Amino acid sequence: MSEQQPEVKGIYAGVDVGSLGTKGVVLKDGKIAGHAIIPSQLNSEEGGLAVLAEALKNAGIDRKDVDFIVSTGYGRISASYANKTVTEITCHAKGANFLYPKVRTIIDMGGQDCKAIRIDAKGAVVDFAMNDKCAAGTGRFLEVMANVFKVKLADLGALALEGTEIVPMSSTCTVFVESETISLLARGEKPSNIINGIHHAIANRVNGLFSRVGIESEVFFSGGVAKNIGMKTALQKVMKVTIPEPTFDPQLTGALGAAVLAQNFAAKEAKEKEASCLAV
Amino acid sequence: MPGSLKTIGKIRAALAARPAELAEAKARGRKVAAWVNYNIPEELLDALGFIPVRLGWGGDDRLTDIGARYISTKNCVFVRELVGRFEEATDPYIKAADIVALDATCLQVYRVAELIKYYFKANTVILGVPRNFATPEAKDYFRAETAHFVARLEEQAGQKLDAAKLAESIKLYDAIRAAIRELYPYQAGDDAKITWLETFDVVQAGQFLDRRAYLGLLQELIAELKSQQGPPVVKDPHSEVRIFLSGSIIPPNDRKLIGIIESWGGRIVGDDLWSGLLSSIDVNIAAPTVEAIADAYLGRAPHAALPYLDLESDGRLKNLKSLVHKFKAQAVVYHTLRYCDPFTFKANETKTVLNKDGIPFLEIHTEYAGSDYEAIRTRVEAFIELLKNRNLVEA
Repeated sequence: MSEQQPEVKGIYAGVDVGSLGTKGVVLKDGKIAGHAIIPSQLNSEEGGLAVLAEALKNAGIDRKDVDFIVSTGYGRISASYANKTVTEITCHAKGANFLYPKVRTIIDMGGQDCKAIRIDAKGAVVDFAMNDKCAAGTGRFLEVMANVFKVKLADLGALALEGTEIVPMSSTCTVFVESETISLLARGEKPSNIINGIHHAIANRVNGLFSRVGIESEVFFSGGVAKNIGMKTALQKVMKVTIPEPTFDPQLTGALGAAVLAQNFAAKEAKEKEASCLAV
Repeated sequence: MPGSLKTIGKIRAALAARPAELAEAKARGRKVAAWVNYNIPEELLDALGFIPVRLGWGGDDRLTDIGARYISTKNCVFVRELVGRFEEATDPYIKAADIVALDATCLQVYRVAELIKYYFKANTVILGVPRNFATPEAKDYFRAETAHFVARLEEQAGQKLDAAKLAESIKLYDAIRAAIRELYPYQAGDDAKITWLETFDVVQAGQFLDRRAYLGLLQELIAELKSQQGPPVVKDPHSEVRIFLSGSIIPPNDRKLIGIIESWGGRIVGDDLWSGLLSSIDVNIAAPTVEAIADAYLGRAPHAALPYLDLESDGRLKNLKSLVHKFKAQAVVYHTLRYCDPFTFKANETKTVLNKDGIPFLEIHTEYAGSDYEAIRTRVEAFIELLKNRNLVEA
């Protein structure tokens, strides 16, 4: 009796379970068909399944029609729904390469870490560096700062741009910056100048990561923090690079890369299956 | 298949029995000289009739916290953990030590010497080490320091260093080092019957065991490997991810990074750790004299704690590159302990030199606490993905 092969639908999904946000992207026939972002849940398996359902719903695709799923992000270890898991470093590289094939350098600033990634023309990682065990330069850090200034996280970047000066910060430690900010406010410093200073301090720290891996144009900024216009502006200034306007939500880059890899893995598996059939 | 070698079982059993053996030897009047660091010439301890044992097991975060009551947290976790062991005073090797010999290669270890003497009344003997090995003044200084070290040991031993006994000790240690050099390639070979970790454990076990008995066990292990595995060969190094481990000390109980590399598909095939292979290479003692021992130790690949600014002729980097090629490793994972400044400060230059030769490099900065486990896992896993991709391209 011959085993019936499942029909290939050309639909692939990537799920990126991060510390703050859980993201999902669905690819159909090599194009983005749907995506979703939800806040990360305590149970990363449930969060991954929820975002996958949401992204599929947005794409108008049934779960049973998905050929291959790749999970990434810190929650990738709890993803029984995925066919394969891949690190977020590799996924951001693939996602950036899919969106901008000329990109060779990626700055990824997520909820709990920050990465400098250098890639080749095929989107393969050549070198990378990650921030030390510290929240500086991450989404969590900016969340804390937004709380200090009693503003919405989404407004923090725009406030930085309103600054006319860059107030120097003596540290990038989340705890110390918080207390230093309170002292600066008490001294009468303008909040927008302090916020501008914080963004530049973080940009300097990120630039330090690139001293380990090097910068090669073009540069791409991914992760949730990439939505922060103040951070983007400070990075461009400090690193002396031009970061292009995103054509797709930069927070979804990892999930997109995971979906691209899902497509590649499925193609590889199909090829191997074909080869084994021919051998028989 | 690794794990099936009988001699490894014997070495483990010997290590388990060693504390009781030391207690018996002490009851018979023998003295134990515990030592810490790369530049302590064990030959001198042995020739003076001491039983040499290394100190420092590492890996215990609880003891690190205890140690931090005495030594600043800006010192590496290995030395903090060691101080914690002295405070707790349950380590059988610390309990057995009549003297503790420490060298000043790393100034944090020197600080440990001061602390354990002050707080725990340890009978310390310190060997001064020059900062720059390459100068004639360094040679004179180290010869004088080694002579002073011997004089202190002689006082403690109650006997003078005897040339014939020294010659015998040098012969023994040369034979151990030669056996370790012969052993190491087996773990890196195809269908290896011994893993790198087993080899590393065997080498570290030797730093605690009776050296004469250990030499016999090493020779037995090599004979077993010769019969089970045959000569070590590596036909296709790109069929797997072959990792070389470098950097700060990895003592016997520090398994975090090793475990992560191995569980994510990396195969460790070599190291230049001073607790591993490094102490067994390039020790050329020309004559059975204190001066010749000093010169030989000075002539080895230097520890990262010693400043060396000329990258092209740095013996440490030359040695690293040569071992990476010897064991057909594809990449280097460079382990730095938090606040192990010597290795951490040299990470970037090591990366630059290796990258020039097309050797990928990953620095893992860590400590004994488990809180960074996931962060390290992500870095190592991504590095292994990178290497697997390179292997596919090269295939």
